[in-house]
Amino acid sequence: MTQDVRDLLHAAAGLYRDDPRASAVLHDCLNRLEQPLRVGFTGAPSSGKTTLAAALGEWPTRALRDLVLLDDPGPADDLPDATVRLVRHLEPDELSAAHPPGGSAFARQSAVNSVLVLSRADEVGAGRIDALLTAKQLARRAWREDPLCTGFLGVIAVAGQLAYGGRSLRDDEFDLLAAFAAVPREELERHVLSVDSFTDPAFPGPIPVETRRSLVVRFGMFGVRLALTLIRTGCDDRVKLSAELLRRSGLGELRDTLAGCIVARAEALKARTAIIRLEALLAAQPRPGGDRLVSRVERFAAAAHDFRELRLIADIRGGRTALSGEPAGEAVRLLGAQGTSPADRLNLEPDADPGDIYDAGLDALRRWRHEAERPDRPHAERTAAHVVVRSTEGLLSLFA
Amino acid sequence: MTAPAWLEVLNETLDACRTHGRADLAERLRRRRDAPEGQIRLGVLGFPKQGKGYLLNAVLNAPVCAVGDAPTPEVPTEIGYAPEPAATLVGRSLERTPVAVDRLTGELGARPAGTLSRVEVGVPRELLSAGLVLVDTPPVGDPRSPRTAAALDLLADADAVILVSDATAPLSAAELALARHVRTWCPHVVLALTKIDASPGWRAVAERDRGMLAEAGIDAPVLPVSAVVRQAAAKTGDAELNTRSGFPELLTWIAEQAARPPEQSRALLAAVGVRAAAAELVESLRDRVDTAAQDAGLGQAALLQRAQRRADDLRRQNTRWQNLLSDEITDLLGDVEYDLRERTRKIVTTIDQTFDEGDPAKVWDEFASWLDETLADAVETNYAWLAERAQWTAQAVAACFGAQYDRALPELPLDGSGIDRLDDVRRPKIEKFKIGQQAFTGLRGSYGGVLMFGLVTSLPWLGLPLINPVSLSAGAAFAVKTIRDEGGMRLQRRQAVAKQAAQRHVDDVFLRYSKEFRDGIRIVQRRLRDHFTGLAEDLADELTREREMIVAGTAERERKTGHIRREIDRLAGLHQRAGELGTIAGRKPRELSA
Repeated sequence: MTQDVRDLLHAAAGLYRDDPRASAVLHDCLNRLEQPLRVGFTGAPSSGKTTLAAALGEWPTRALRDLVLLDDPGPADDLPDATVRLVRHLEPDELSAAHPPGGSAFARQSAVNSVLVLSRADEVGAGRIDALLTAKQLARRAWREDPLCTGFLGVIAVAGQLAYGGRSLRDDEFDLLAAFAAVPREELERHVLSVDSFTDPAFPGPIPVETRRSLVVRFGMFGVRLALTLIRTGCDDRVKLSAELLRRSGLGELRDTLAGCIVARAEALKARTAIIRLEALLAAQPRPGGDRLVSRVERFAAAAHDFRELRLIADIRGGRTALSGEPAGEAVRLLGAQGTSPADRLNLEPDADPGDIYDAGLDALRRWRHEAERPDRPHAERTAAHVVVRSTEGLLSLFA
Repeated sequence: MTAPAWLEVLNETLDACRTHGRADLAERLRRRRDAPEGQIRLGVLGFPKQGKGYLLNAVLNAPVCAVGDAPTPEVPTEIGYAPEPAATLVGRSLERTPVAVDRLTGELGARPAGTLSRVEVGVPRELLSAGLVLVDTPPVGDPRSPRTAAALDLLADADAVILVSDATAPLSAAELALARHVRTWCPHVVLALTKIDASPGWRAVAERDRGMLAEAGIDAPVLPVSAVVRQAAAKTGDAELNTRSGFPELLTWIAEQAARPPEQSRALLAAVGVRAAAAELVESLRDRVDTAAQDAGLGQAALLQRAQRRADDLRRQNTRWQNLLSDEITDLLGDVEYDLRERTRKIVTTIDQTFDEGDPAKVWDEFASWLDETLADAVETNYAWLAERAQWTAQAVAACFGAQYDRALPELPLDGSGIDRLDDVRRPKIEKFKIGQQAFTGLRGSYGGVLMFGLVTSLPWLGLPLINPVSLSAGAAFAVKTIRDEGGMRLQRRQAVAKQAAQRHVDDVFLRYSKEFRDGIRIVQRRLRDHFTGLAEDLADELTREREMIVAGTAERERKTGHIRREIDRLAGLHQRAGELGTIAGRKPRELSA
């Protein structure tokens, strides 16, 4: 795929040889194909872009190693390959603003490169202790039911501040929190009610106001309350607390989605960006002889199966298809939601015997072909099954 | 009791709004005028998820409004005093359905959108007992959405408004615009800064908000509140915590609104309403004047100029088509005549050739039919060519007027060459050399021969009688020669007669048809001239009318613009009078510039 795009870009460079600006764009496109994937974080001011990018960026994980995280990229020239769109509330006004913009037919058809994040999930429900759970349910419901949430690879509630705080939790901070948690709950309750009461001089204990203030600035009032509850219910060391805060923040889910649907498709997504920029160039400055290039681009766009897979993954996970339960799980796996290697797609160990992989692939192909050809199923279901069949055929072709 | 002073001003403004097509403003003023006495309506407005529901519940210390992720009603909720908690759904046509307060949210969710006009809730609260009504509104958002419209509808009869914005972020541009709009229609506004419990930086946000409001000229106090703290305080009965929640201050402000003397308050509200309506109306009228002036400025000069240009074009075009027509017709006359002459001349040549050799007595019949045919052919061809040229001429002239006119050409009076009326050539008198005549001529010729040779042979040395074989033979020879000579002469005579007859016929035909065709062409000319003169006159008339309309339109527009200007002046006057009627102490009203 990348080689095809490279060829197209080289052909275009020949066409625009005399135009320095266009040549620079094409050159940049070529370079970008070699560079790491660029993920942009967009959203309204104070929706938590920087916090979330920071929380993800310092993640010591291989999955997200080859990523460049762009905090609020510029509009045109710095086109990210994938986007994390942040909204503070799942309100229609905010959602319609977060919807990916249109563009060429290919850009629209392949616009399955964004994740919607309900950021500041800790503010949901007036910061009650179950706020994160409520936020998760809200996000889940919106993904399944709200027509404005179609086409996103995920709608995920994330408490960015909590995630960042949890990730970078220091020993001294844990000690402080543990000391507060040691105070009987009834006694402490009125002091953790609000920022003001937490930083009030009347707060029990010897901890200075400024220390408490920095704690609340870092974790938020909700974060402090949650940490205290967690310490009381068993997270009795820093590592445990840090892990638990992270788990609850929803950052893990976001990371899994990014790793499974975006990093795994880095080649395809980078190719997409290059193709969109090339299309824009060809449309803005038509050249004699550009027609052939345009039709080559169109052929390439029509053949790109990755975006069909991504869209179907988004639709199945968002509950927008008739698939559910085990078949849905198998379908998204075969579509490559958990890694695009044959073993990953077939849910086998990475070092499985090639013969076994091949047999499993044949078996899956047979079953999904059957699904794709059942006349008693609606057209949409058969089309979806066809996409799965195409993916399975693709993985089998690697053994040919 | 005399009508209050504000009523007159309000009614006048209301009429002006209605006259100028702003029924929405008129309706707001009407509701302001007809507001029921003894009720103070306090509206709560804000963007989604700012904590309106929590705020109201905290004010009332009761879970009345939907909070959190529960769906917010699409219609306003009016919360008033009732000895027992009660809720009523009021439908579009004001039908009332009582529901239990705790089932309110479920009931609202079950109703299809657009069937309700409002929800009324009664709660036994001391605060509301004096006639205070709190109005929770649907969240403000997209300016075109019905939700926003339903929320802003509140401004028609609210006595005071609590704007809600949370402390996690300073006022957005949209929130500031909302505040400005609200303040224009309602004299008493407060900004409740919610969620201060969760926001470490709320003091800075409050300062920012105060600054922004002051900068925008909106006088509204900013009151930071926390519903969470208030709830906790209520649970434990902790007075200090309650103070910290910020709600006591807000409640004091609400009580102030309720305690205003009603008459003075109504006058102020009416005055503010009049001023807001007048300002909005003046703005829309000014827009109208501006666009009209732009249209006129751009339109009139351009239109007149265009009309002038078209008149010039028309004049040039008239000369052009007249010249073209007369030239073409002259050419056509000459060409047609020449063509006919040429064709007849060729026929005459053929006639000559025919009769130089042939004997008319033998060939005439055949010749006559050939001549008729050829002549008819020549005339027909000539005529067809004429008709074609005439049609072409008509199109060429029409093209002078523009491409769209060559479809509506006049019917040309060319209805056939009239060749069928052509008489056949008359057979001339051709004498044949009959037998009797031949005999007589032969006899006459033989006489000379017989006599001549008879005399010679009757000379004495021959001694033959006068009539002898020699003289008789000579007589016979002479007779034959005479007959032959006579026959030749007669043939020539016949040929001459036939030629003459045929030529005369051809000449007749030429004369007749060249005259007919000439007349035909003249008629065509007249017809075309009449048609195109008519067309030119029509175009000129149209242009004149257009010009008149341009001039009249300008006058009409100027009349209207003047009218609107006077209306703007009148509204500015009303605006000022309203300002004098009701002002908040210590505030200088800003006047509209007329």
